[in-house]
Amino acid sequence: MSAGVSPRPWWVPGGVIAFGGIMLYGAAQLGQSDAHSGVGPGLFVTIIGIALVVLGVALGVQVARGVAFTSPEGEGEYGEVDDEDRTHRGPLLLAIASLAAPLVLMQAAGFPVTAAVVFAGVARAFGSRRPVVDILTGAVLGAVAWFFFNWLGVNLGPFLPLLSER
Amino acid sequence: MSTLDLLLHGFGVAFQPINLLMAFIGSLLGTAIGVLPGIGPALTIALLMPVTTSLEPASAFIMFAGILYGAMYGGSTTSILLNTPGESGSMMTALEGNQMARRGRGAAALATAAIGSFVAGTIGTLALSFVAPAVSELAFIFGPEDYFALMVLSFTTISVVLGNSPLRGAIAVAVGLGLGVIGIDAQTGQSRLTFGSLDLLDGIPFTIVLVSLFAVGEIIYVASRGPERSSGMNPLSGGIWMTKEDWKRSWKPWLRGTALGFPIGVLPAGGSEIPTFLSYAVEKRLSKHPEEFGSGAIEGVAGPEAANNAAAAGILVPLLTLGLPTSATSAILLSAFQGYGLQPGPLLFVNNAELVWGLIASLYIGNFMLIVLNLPLAGMWVRLLMIPRPQLYAGIVIFALVGVWGLSTSWFDLLLMFSMGLLGYAMRLYDFPAAPVLIGLILGPMAEQQLRRALAISQGDPVALVSTPISATLLGLALCIVVLPPLLRTLARRPAGDDRYAASRPTP
Repeated sequence: MSAGVSPRPWWVPGGVIAFGGIMLYGAAQLGQSDAHSGVGPGLFVTIIGIALVVLGVALGVQVARGVAFTSPEGEGEYGEVDDEDRTHRGPLLLAIASLAAPLVLMQAAGFPVTAAVVFAGVARAFGSRRPVVDILTGAVLGAVAWFFFNWLGVNLGPFLPLLSER
Repeated sequence: MSTLDLLLHGFGVAFQPINLLMAFIGSLLGTAIGVLPGIGPALTIALLMPVTTSLEPASAFIMFAGILYGAMYGGSTTSILLNTPGESGSMMTALEGNQMARRGRGAAALATAAIGSFVAGTIGTLALSFVAPAVSELAFIFGPEDYFALMVLSFTTISVVLGNSPLRGAIAVAVGLGLGVIGIDAQTGQSRLTFGSLDLLDGIPFTIVLVSLFAVGEIIYVASRGPERSSGMNPLSGGIWMTKEDWKRSWKPWLRGTALGFPIGVLPAGGSEIPTFLSYAVEKRLSKHPEEFGSGAIEGVAGPEAANNAAAAGILVPLLTLGLPTSATSAILLSAFQGYGLQPGPLLFVNNAELVWGLIASLYIGNFMLIVLNLPLAGMWVRLLMIPRPQLYAGIVIFALVGVWGLSTSWFDLLLMFSMGLLGYAMRLYDFPAAPVLIGLILGPMAEQQLRRALAISQGDPVALVSTPISATLLGLALCIVVLPPLLRTLARRPAGDDRYAASRPTP
């Protein structure tokens, strides 16, 4: 039994049904059949939408019956993480925030700066207590990656847009 | 030309200095990335995809071949030493191999895994060389309705085979199919489900979904489980290499594992999970020391590891001949083919013979390079595992960012990566398998194309979908897979009442 997972996660089947609903809404605006090919661009979308709604309802029935959402053998047997652990909110939020950082930083500050911030944030979420070392490591790793992949012909944007704008 | 001539020609391609170099770099990088905990072969290929951007298709695929086998070798090293399998196919290796490592037999476990992989990989590739051309001939008689039926069969088997719950597997497939229809419809040019967003017109890039679900979601999940406990790293110190006894106990499991792995890999349901589990069960039954199983029996490493590698070769048969991916790894290879404008299928063997046979030949070469590299270099790979966990996972994120931002330096891709990462986290939390999403995403548009082709020929008459013996059989099989197991279970357990499968599948 995993304590990190709420026993009645209604939002999971809800999300599946909602995604199916979006599919059906999108499909309704497309032709279901057309003169040449017999089938229009909407038919397949409709089928998937119906499938998602049906599967979501079935999952809802499972949730209502209190079916557990973990593997029968228990992941802790193989994985490095025990499922018995509850969710640690602090590290979770920090990891999510760090992974959102590129959305704000990448275009404005360039790859190496973003890499430094993301690296330090994720390392911190995993329990590192050396922020300065992590920022420097991330910056160096980001810069090396930028030059290496630039050399391979992969465009990773301007190196330091903050400087070049002047 | 006979298969042998074609294969020799393939070796001619693979032995060109540039391609040999690519196979070597691929094997090396594949092992180095694959050895990192939690990174399986599919993610390794996705993360290393940017490295191949400036290469010719033939050289790029030769490199992918090296990366694929390299990642599998690296994965078995991590599974044995750290007990962190990067894919379900190495779960059994982790189970038994880690026990061996804890008893100071890590070196022997690594050796039997490496040699077993080599034996299985070589036999598997040999079988691939002869089975694939035959299957590709067969594939020519497939009509669109047969292809569609085959894909439906593969969707249902994937739902049942991958993961712990058929319902959650089916939902994962359906989510993948749903993501796959977003963008411009290839046949009518209409935009579907883009809701006015220009960024969505090109569809959802496969690489982003893979990297986000497997790397980003996984990292959020592992971080949320809290700080590190004792990592349980088992260094090789004092380990004894394989003894004569070990060889005697290993060679039969290698061959049996291969015999199980390749044929199951070839099946459109495929995957490497089932053959490794089967091989483990078989070895346990046949062993003279069944009591050692669970506490470090060498057969339990040798058999599953061979089965895993033979299955990896087997999976290439439906991929190359039918364009049908049956694992996350073959799905990423398929997307790489599509990235070069190539469509795997029977025509690939005719139109791109040089590339296909160069790829197959380089599988032999890569396999050989890996055994030469990895027996002496195992100690070096182990050192990669010494990187502290926070910095290791942070480094993986930087790699993932290169892969996503490097695609087209688009802000929208970053947003996709973030939101797909959250989806991946939720899926991990509620134990939904991620691989079916990828297979649905890449196979969905192909299934739709075949469906529409079949219905266009019949002018919209749905009976056409079961009009040939092949399509009727395949769809019948698919129906059985969905209907039979829950039906049998309900019949068998009716008095017991509540069981978790009874509600797990709706009757269609």
